[in-house]
Amino acid sequence: MSETITLADAKAVIENQIEELARRNREPEWMTKIRYRALEAFERAPHNDPVISEEQLLHFIAKPEVEGIPEHIESLEDLPAELKALLDRLGIEEVEQKYVAGLAVQTDTGVIYNQFLQEWAKKGLTVLPTEEAVRRYPDLVKEHFLRLFRVDESKLTAYHTAVWNGGIFLHVKEGLKVPFPLHLFFLIQESALAQAPHIIIIAEPNTEFHLIEGCTAPILVRHSLHLDMTEAYFGENAKGQLTVLQNWPEYVHTRPMTRAKIGKNARFINTTVGLGTGKSNTANPKYWVDENGYVELNGILLGQKDWYVDLGGEMYLQGKGAAGINASKAVIMDESTVITRGIITAEAPKTKGHISCDALLLSDKSRMETYPGLVSRVDDAELSHEAAIGKIREEELFYLMSRGLSEEKATQLIVKGFLEPMLKDIPMEFLVEIRKIIELAVSGGM
Amino acid sequence: MLKVENLHVSVDDKEILRGVDLSVGQGEFHVVMGPNGSGKSTLALTLAGHPRYKVTKGTLLFDGESILNLGPDERARKGILLAFQVPPEVEGVKIIEFLQQVLVELKGIDPAEAYDAIVKKAGELWFKEDDLHRYVNVGFSGGERKRLELLQALLIEPKLLILDEPDSGVDVDSLSIISRKIEELNRAGTAVLLITHYGRILEHLDPGTFRVHVMKDGRIVMERGGEFVNEIEERGFQAIFEECGCDE
Ligand SMILES: Nc1ncnc2c1ncn2[C@@H]1O[C@H](COP(=O)(O)OP(=O)(O)OP(=O)(O)O)[C@@H](O)[C@H]1O
Ligand SMILES: [Mg+2]
Repeated sequence: MSETITLADAKAVIENQIEELARRNREPEWMTKIRYRALEAFERAPHNDPVISEEQLLHFIAKPEVEGIPEHIESLEDLPAELKALLDRLGIEEVEQKYVAGLAVQTDTGVIYNQFLQEWAKKGLTVLPTEEAVRRYPDLVKEHFLRLFRVDESKLTAYHTAVWNGGIFLHVKEGLKVPFPLHLFFLIQESALAQAPHIIIIAEPNTEFHLIEGCTAPILVRHSLHLDMTEAYFGENAKGQLTVLQNWPEYVHTRPMTRAKIGKNARFINTTVGLGTGKSNTANPKYWVDENGYVELNGILLGQKDWYVDLGGEMYLQGKGAAGINASKAVIMDESTVITRGIITAEAPKTKGHISCDALLLSDKSRMETYPGLVSRVDDAELSHEAAIGKIREEELFYLMSRGLSEEKATQLIVKGFLEPMLKDIPMEFLVEIRKIIELAVSGGM
Repeated sequence: MLKVENLHVSVDDKEILRGVDLSVGQGEFHVVMGPNGSGKSTLALTLAGHPRYKVTKGTLLFDGESILNLGPDERARKGILLAFQVPPEVEGVKIIEFLQQVLVELKGIDPAEAYDAIVKKAGELWFKEDDLHRYVNVGFSGGERKRLELLQALLIEPKLLILDEPDSGVDVDSLSIISRKIEELNRAGTAVLLITHYGRILEHLDPGTFRVHVMKDGRIVMERGGEFVNEIEERGFQAIFEECGCDE
């Protein structure tokens, strides 16, 4: 990071990208206008990242470190062998034949491998690249794009909005219950663009879905910053689940931004499994919950090496009887730091909120901090929190070892067992993968 | 097979075993009795290699080799198994997965074969297949835990099985199945070192077939034949200690 990059330099780079995206996406003017407005906001918006300095940010924008895989990917056959092997391991083809799951692989230019989803499109399930949704469903997108964020909240929201590309548009029509989990893989290959997918989820009343974003797939270009944004809207009585599996390479800083509006009697279970959270990962998802609505944020966090993980979570219980749970389980090793800071604000009567944080420290230099925040603006809300930070109990380890398991194997079992209760809603194919990653991490940390 | 000589053991710098001598030959059956706090569990945990129990003096031989420097897992692989007095809960670890892994590693059999063996033996100890999908000892009653310890012994078939009060807190019917299973293992060649406070678990055994060691203040102070169990039960330790001059 030798040369100094000015705000003007970064703006020029962003402007170029906006033009390129507008051209590439054959973007309607209204969207390009949003991008330009974001570019203006970028200049004045505050920068308040705990890890990335403003200077670094400008550098990431203007001089992204890029190591891409050049060839073009248009079908599954063109996928790199390692990704194909991963899909095979996950049994995707088999699953597809049995018509029990939907899979989309998101590339820069489109969603591939989605014959199965086309069947369901007729029933009212739309899964499209966000770029394509902008062209095909402009009114719906206008109504839901950047409604839960303000463009000038921070330099990161402004930057994301200016250069967003990729991401998925998921629309579930009223009454449709999708009986299989939808798998979405991000596969980003085009080098010069920022990694900033924008995800929009619209679940109309009385719908059900489960979307799994798997970032276990290798990302094909080397970027220092990944900025995805998710906006989810739940109609009355809609029930949705969003499971995000993160397995980022070590050099990337990830800043997922998720927000959701949860309607009357709606339910949203948002699980984030951070196995490889990258060099640093900070997230502060926000949820607004209407009458008798329910939201659950489950964070599974694995801190390794010198990683810095900071998971917040703000829940606003706005309707009578609304409820929210923010639960996290962290396994922390080496010199990693994990921070959790959930806040639940009760704004309506008879609301309930609970924050829990459980951490297992595997080394003397690992660090856990937790700051639960409970705010009540009414007198009959039930808000509570609990936290437990500890090490592996000697008695448990000895017990398992006295049955012939090595210290490494016994520790792996205990760590997997510690996380187990949180993994209950994750499909088996992923569990196998997740367990393997945990085992490797534990062995590496010993 | 097991030879303990002048064993001194400390926990947190407090000496608990103060010169224990004990020998157990292949396939033999030995009983250890003694008042609360006399050091029976300490001896058992030390034999199994608990890291907090530090041997400060003495020798510990298994099959002629010192096992003092071996970790608990290595001792298990040599054929020593301890059934705990108080088995700990291991949250999130399913019994079936744990036992499968143990059998795969210890006996080199494949997971499917292990699964079948576990289900079969579990049935013999009154566990249903559902129970095996519960977490290890979590929410198990005292008696259930003892049966689970014995299930592990049946599956692992160790050379030396150390049982620390397998009969305490156990109902009459469970006691009878547990004692029969211990005898079964012993007949099949497993040497047994059984710690107990009561003779009931030994009811079916011919007193001529096992030895009784009495522990007091961190030492084994008497060794007698199997019939001595009755005398202990009838008269209590105090009277016996007074008579033998074991009170120093
Ligand atoms: N970890 C420890 N820290 C301190 N003292 C200990 C520890 N473990 C054992 N002791 C002490 O050592 C002595 C022997 O304990 P041990 O558990 O071996 O007795 P025991 O003969 O098994 O008794 P019981 O019949 O009640 O099971 C007791 O006084 C006990 O308090
Ligand atoms: Mg004891």
